[in-house]
Amino acid sequence: MLQIIKNEWRFLIRSRIFLGISIAFISILLVSVFLGNYQTRKQEQTHKSAKDHVRQQWVSIDEMNPHSAAHYGTYVFKPTNLLNSLDEGVNSVTGNVLRVEGHVQNEIVHSEASQMQAISRFGKLKPSLLLQYIVPLLLIFLAFNSVSDEKQSGRLKLLVLQGAKPLQIILSKILSVWLYGMMLLTFVLSVYSILNFQSLTTDILTRTGLFFLSYTLYYFIISAITVYFSARWQNATLALTSMLGIWIIWTIFLPNILMSSAEKWHPLPSRNQFQSAMKEDRSKGLDGHNPKDKRAIALKEKVLKEYGVDSLSQLPINFDGMRMQADEEYGNSVWDKHFGNNRKILRKQKQSFQLGGIVNPFISLQNSSMGFMASDNLHHQEFLLQVENYRRFFIKTLNDKQTFGGSKTGNWRWKEDNAFFKSIPDFNYKPTQVSVILSNYLLDLALLILWSIIVIVIIYFGTKKIQIV
Amino acid sequence: MIQLQNVSKSFKGSLAIKNLNLEVQKGEILGLLGANGAGKSTTINMLLGFLNPDSGEVYINDIDTNHNSQETRKLIGYIPENVNLYPYLSGLENLDYFCKLAGLKYSKNELENYLTICGLENKAHVKKVSGYSKGMRQKVGIAIAYAKKAKVYLLDEPASGLDPLASNELSILLKKLASEGATILMASHDIFRVREVCNRIGILKNGVLVKELYSKDVSANELETLYLQFMQN
Repeated sequence: MLQIIKNEWRFLIRSRIFLGISIAFISILLVSVFLGNYQTRKQEQTHKSAKDHVRQQWVSIDEMNPHSAAHYGTYVFKPTNLLNSLDEGVNSVTGNVLRVEGHVQNEIVHSEASQMQAISRFGKLKPSLLLQYIVPLLLIFLAFNSVSDEKQSGRLKLLVLQGAKPLQIILSKILSVWLYGMMLLTFVLSVYSILNFQSLTTDILTRTGLFFLSYTLYYFIISAITVYFSARWQNATLALTSMLGIWIIWTIFLPNILMSSAEKWHPLPSRNQFQSAMKEDRSKGLDGHNPKDKRAIALKEKVLKEYGVDSLSQLPINFDGMRMQADEEYGNSVWDKHFGNNRKILRKQKQSFQLGGIVNPFISLQNSSMGFMASDNLHHQEFLLQVENYRRFFIKTLNDKQTFGGSKTGNWRWKEDNAFFKSIPDFNYKPTQVSVILSNYLLDLALLILWSIIVIVIIYFGTKKIQIV
Repeated sequence: MIQLQNVSKSFKGSLAIKNLNLEVQKGEILGLLGANGAGKSTTINMLLGFLNPDSGEVYINDIDTNHNSQETRKLIGYIPENVNLYPYLSGLENLDYFCKLAGLKYSKNELENYLTICGLENKAHVKKVSGYSKGMRQKVGIAIAYAKKAKVYLLDEPASGLDPLASNELSILLKKLASEGATILMASHDIFRVREVCNRIGILKNGVLVKELYSKDVSANELETLYLQFMQN
């Protein structure tokens, strides 16, 4: 087998056309890695400068009423992960700025796609685009006549006569083509590692390793099916046509069809429905800014009883802050209910889509690629959840200061000094652990492995039917 | 030694070989003459173990090709009409590659020696095969079989398309191989070349061996007349 693989590679190296195509494609890959890295680094800088600017505004608050500060609010920016330079995933369409303030959970805004037509139409030129769409095409073009050419030229007879078994020949051809894909993949990851050598962490290396594994399996599947078609079909054109058909179905039609089906099976409420339902549930709760609200009155009675006093002026605390926090907590429970429901639906959609990998390994590749490169919707949802948790902590700190900071009920002119505002920590995103990601994408990896095994079994039994003459 | 005993083979109901009995001894060259579709290539493919006969037995050195094709292939050298080698390799590299596939590892000198014995000029050894003539490729094909130390040579239209000089060189080479003890079966249209090279001649028509004779018993012209008679009847 080694001899056949070596001979195939001699062809690749000596064929001027193929060498030219390889050099051109490697150059494009190189540009995509540099560009992806540059964009990510630039985004990191922009993110840091925006974050520093907003934080500076916050810590510069000289004196302010804590609840007014809750309305003043702050901004949280979605951090860029170094891994995103390999696969952009959903990041360019999800937005990256979130306003954090009292009483309301704002939506994330300012997606790159909404600001740049080219991105909304074609996506960014990232290595994943080339690795997912173009490299498999190259492998197909490399493999479609690998066996049929030997058959038509009569060399297959000579090879078998010299002792090579048909299965050995086919496996060697598959490995040769697959190794070419692996070379391109290794090249991309090597350049990426060199460019980011000082920033490589165990997390990044583990995720990159899993990313590598996903592509390794997918390239094997593509190479194996193409070589097998080349051996089974009567002519190379039929093998090429069949594989191009499969490539189109796998990469263009099936992902769209399966995603639409997943959305139909597990529909999300429309934006209007979602907002109306949130508004309706919110209206049933306590209104923090309305002291005459019946729930606010009930809370007041309860607090007065707890403190054993008759009026708000006798309370050692500021009841306005407590009422605001009660309002906040009710709003949080409404958000948990509706947003939590959306998260459940999104997870179900994701799981249904993942099962699409049974019929289409490209789906498994795309899922795991985005997942391991931290640019999938699960990472985005995790970011939103962390922001909401921070918002709750942020607002509660301000409301607690309003309540227990020494002011009296009704004194809206009371202000806290700069030291207090400085003491409130900034939002700090904690990246999702790779073990969590692995459990989410284990199904995709398992399906890619299953596809590889099925392909090997088909080749093993199918090769016996191959006619040498 | 080659033996075919009552061999029949059909494709989709159409009979390609009918009750063929044939024997080629060690050191003998048998020429199979016949028109296109007479069954010459089918016979060779059965000897190679790529086709199984519907009935009858095929032996190479007393080993049944039907059940032991891996074993019999080790004994066979096959030279098709067009020896299609890897065009991006030189003759030397092609020979080295095919030898390694057969589990044979020769030094560069040994490989060059095989090519020289088979008539390929030294300066052509390292030239890419894409620049070779048909005759040069035939020589490399024979060198592959020779380096394999084949006991049986099967040649399918080997002289077709060769210029007279290359064809003559091929004849000399085949006679040399036979003199060294090789068993050779050569399928051809070329009556004169077959008459000149082979010890014995068989004429195949529609899968039936209609005539078997010794070369020494007929002249080339007589053989041609005989062949035409069989073809026209």
